[in-house]
Amino acid sequence: MDTLYQSLVTVNPVTLIAQICNLFIQLLLVKIFFLDKIKAILDQRREAADRQIADAEAAKAEAAAIKETYEQNMREAKAKADDLLLSAQKTATMRSEEIISQAQAAAAQMKSKASSDIEMEKKKAINDAKDEISGLAMAIAGKVVERELNAADQAQLIDRFLDELGDQV
Amino acid sequence: MEVSINGARIIATFENVPLFGTVQLTQTLVVSWLVMIIITALCIWLGSGLKVTGISRKQAVAEMIYTSLVNFVRGNMGTQFDHYIPLVGTIFVTSIVSNLISLVGIWSPTADLMTELAWALVVFVLITYHKIKASGILGYLKGFLDPIFILAPINIMSECFTPISMACRHFGNILSGTVIGALIYAALTAASSALFHKLGSSLIVAIVVALLGAALIFFGRNAKKKFFFILGIILAVLGVLAVLTNLGADYPWLIVGIPAIPSLYFDWFGGCVQAFIFCTLTTLFIKQAAGD
Repeated sequence: MDTLYQSLVTVNPVTLIAQICNLFIQLLLVKIFFLDKIKAILDQRREAADRQIADAEAAKAEAAAIKETYEQNMREAKAKADDLLLSAQKTATMRSEEIISQAQAAAAQMKSKASSDIEMEKKKAINDAKDEISGLAMAIAGKVVERELNAADQAQLIDRFLDELGDQV
Repeated sequence: MEVSINGARIIATFENVPLFGTVQLTQTLVVSWLVMIIITALCIWLGSGLKVTGISRKQAVAEMIYTSLVNFVRGNMGTQFDHYIPLVGTIFVTSIVSNLISLVGIWSPTADLMTELAWALVVFVLITYHKIKASGILGYLKGFLDPIFILAPINIMSECFTPISMACRHFGNILSGTVIGALIYAALTAASSALFHKLGSSLIVAIVVALLGAALIFFGRNAKKKFFFILGIILAVLGVLAVLTNLGADYPWLIVGIPAIPSLYFDWFGGCVQAFIFCTLTTLFIKQAAGD
């Protein structure tokens, strides 16, 4: 059998129609087996990447919020500590002033008590002295009564006595 | 010596097919189906075992192909024509595989005008659809009367020549590659038989040429002269082949290897560039038809 050839450039409607059909069948096959699959994978990957970015941003926001709260707490704690320190200082100052004033009051009291004691002692001493003097005077008067002094002696004695008294007092 | 360049081989003829009459099953269709099987197998292979993370080298290539296709279509048409990505990709890959299948000695379906005309007609239908969609059926018909009604026949002709020129451009380039390939083969066969029959007519001449070549190789290598070295290789190879011819191994030796050099342009480069041009024109025409 001879091999038959078409002429080099020819119009063959059957081939034309078949080639159009072939193109569409091929298009469907390429789309189903290649393009759609790759597209699905790329979409999935993009979604995953988007999700990761969203997650990361959420985590970042959360961390920022936590940091904010922490700093807020820190500020409050610092303020509280300052307050405490201030009040403690105030209390201490008040307390020390109180102690000092109490001490001063006590000292003043002690001082006044001491001076009143001294005064009393002094008075007591004077009273004692007066008592002694009067005793002495009684004794002297007894002696004078026993000896029967003359007028001159009497005068002399009284003077001396008074002198002595004056020296003593 | 006779060089004959034929169209597609007719494999079978069916008489009295309803609706069509005589139907010829040509090589074009059979090879087209082969091309479809190859492309589909390639698609299934590339599209299988896809993963979202930790992708294989194969998947990286598949994604690169997809991304460059999408970028090509978007770069030419913008993002509102994404539904034409499969069509453009299909035409491109079918064209490439059809063009390059001739490298393994199979008839190239794109060397049949009907193949490109089929694609171009599909594109033409899309162009017309977008033109009508953009300006309405009346606006589309009125466009033929621009700028004056006398030019209507010319406008209609120019409209019809869009698919014809697209098809013929692609077809012509592939055909020219085929024709030039056949011519080169014929010329090299003739040159080969002339050369080796003359050289190999006597064994002594052939051996002398081979020895001369060997001497030149030796001299060229020792004197570090590239020119003599290369000349020596050529002479030695020619001499050895002439000896073989003389001993009875009659073969057109020159067609081994040498046709690969023009084939690099006409088959590889031409095939790829024509596929690219066809797809570029497809995208640009559709975009133009859809209006700005």
